Amino acid sequence: MIVDAATYLGPYPFRDVTGAPAGLTRMMREHAVAVSIASPLDGLFHQDPEAANQRLMRAIKGRGSIFAAPIVNVRLADWRSRIELMGRDPQVRAIRIAPAFHGYPAAETRHAAECAAECDLAVTVQLRMADERFHPSFLDLPATPLPDIIALAAETPNVRWVASAARMAEIQQSAPQIEPLHNLWLDTSHIDGLDCIQRASAAVGIERLLFSTCWPFFYAKSAFLKIGEAGLSSEQSSRLLGGNAAAAFRLLQRAV
Amino acid sequence: MSDRPSARPGSRASSPLIIDFHAHPGYSRDLDGLRREFGPSMQAADHYRVRYVCICSLADWSPSPTPDAIRTGNDNTLALMADYPDRVLGLCYVNPRYPDEALEEIDRCITREGMAGIKLWIACRASDPLMDPMAEKAAALGVPILNHAAYLHRNQPADPNTPADVALWAAKHPRTMIVMAHMAPCRERGLVDIAPYPNVHIDCSGYEPESGWTELAVRRLGAERVVFGTDTPIRSYGMSLGKVLGARLTARQRALILGGNSKRLLARRLGK
Repeated sequence: MIVDAATYLGPYPFRDVTGAPAGLTRMMREHAVAVSIASPLDGLFHQDPEAANQRLMRAIKGRGSIFAAPIVNVRLADWRSRIELMGRDPQVRAIRIAPAFHGYPAAETRHAAECAAECDLAVTVQLRMADERFHPSFLDLPATPLPDIIALAAETPNVRWVASAARMAEIQQSAPQIEPLHNLWLDTSHIDGLDCIQRASAAVGIERLLFSTCWPFFYAKSAFLKIGEAGLSSEQSSRLLGGNAAAAFRLLQRAV
Repeated sequence: MSDRPSARPGSRASSPLIIDFHAHPGYSRDLDGLRREFGPSMQAADHYRVRYVCICSLADWSPSPTPDAIRTGNDNTLALMADYPDRVLGLCYVNPRYPDEALEEIDRCITREGMAGIKLWIACRASDPLMDPMAEKAAALGVPILNHAAYLHRNQPADPNTPADVALWAAKHPRTMIVMAHMAPCRERGLVDIAPYPNVHIDCSGYEPESGWTELAVRRLGAERVVFGTDTPIRSYGMSLGKVLGARLTARQRALILGGNSKRLLARRLGK
């Protein structure tokens, strides 16, 4: 079972990229993806992502293979009630928080993350989207530091954390701190470089990695080719492509 | 693996030729280290049945290396060409700030040793008059120049070469075949900058696989001006090939980008 831990629906504001439900379904069929975790792409850029979240939920309603990770801005005073509401929807398996996009330090997410855990939701942290070197000139959006999420994960063992869009160098630098944390996973979307999957696996263990395409922002094909060239064993592939995600998002425990 | 491109050169008539126009031997400064690094690169190229890999040293990775450092780097490239005969094509790296030494190095590496093209990095902008003798030499030899370019965010250190510089240079040297590196970092503006100059191509190396860029480059420039490259070992073959194999292209466009265009650019070395 292939699980794509990071996909998006909706438009990206700075390029002609839009994730449509039909396109996501087509991508999943083409690549034999059984389950996708989707977030609203435009919601990253909205101070109040509720409208984008609602569009996401309407778009995936009735699509049993697509689960939601709606976006939560913890600077909004009613974040708790929003998370609790999300937790009651069986199609929601995670919240996606974006500290850099919404302008707060990662440490501020702790209480919201604990609330999500109480609602049996994972917490995905969007570290970045595009390469910071090539952002639009008016956009000042530094990445959320991976060590900040590692520190949170260490302090909150009851929370299932997913760091989304970490880079190879960041993973390697923090590998000793990541490896012992069984409540922290890293998605593979932004891991690149020669032998990158082998090197990431060697650094933190295959059980810490979640396959993700970052579709539609990235070509999905790239993600599959990257895994294909890694020379993983059948067991390693199985864990990376779906087994780890099933644990991170409790896909088997929670029925829709 | 079903996602593996069905392209083993020479094995099937219908297989597209794949040429990586933009690769590096590795980060090491010595040949032994480079050999250790480059082996896995070639294994990845084998995995995807990449027929030719064009490599260029960046000497000591300083912005403006000395002629001695340049020669050492090119010697390493020549050694790797010998290690992988008929697979690895060298691009001669030179620093135009040392014009006499640069032209002599081009003669040594291309005319006498069989390298396939020239690599210019960030020693000076393409619009700098120091670049003119390099362009003239390339045109005289009938070899392409691979030139780094980008438009970086204002928070980044100023990029030493931009697509606008490449456009000015290309206008002065219409017979020179130029491959401007790094499509997405050159941004939409960069594609428009070079559009009027048919001697300028663009490669898809050196950036994350942001969707839509390959299609946009084909719309702006035509598939005949888009070239596959990886920037390996900085980037992986899989991520890079996905930018072409995952793009909405016709089979003809895909074949041109994967290898057809590079074969034309490298005709002096590969034959017609």
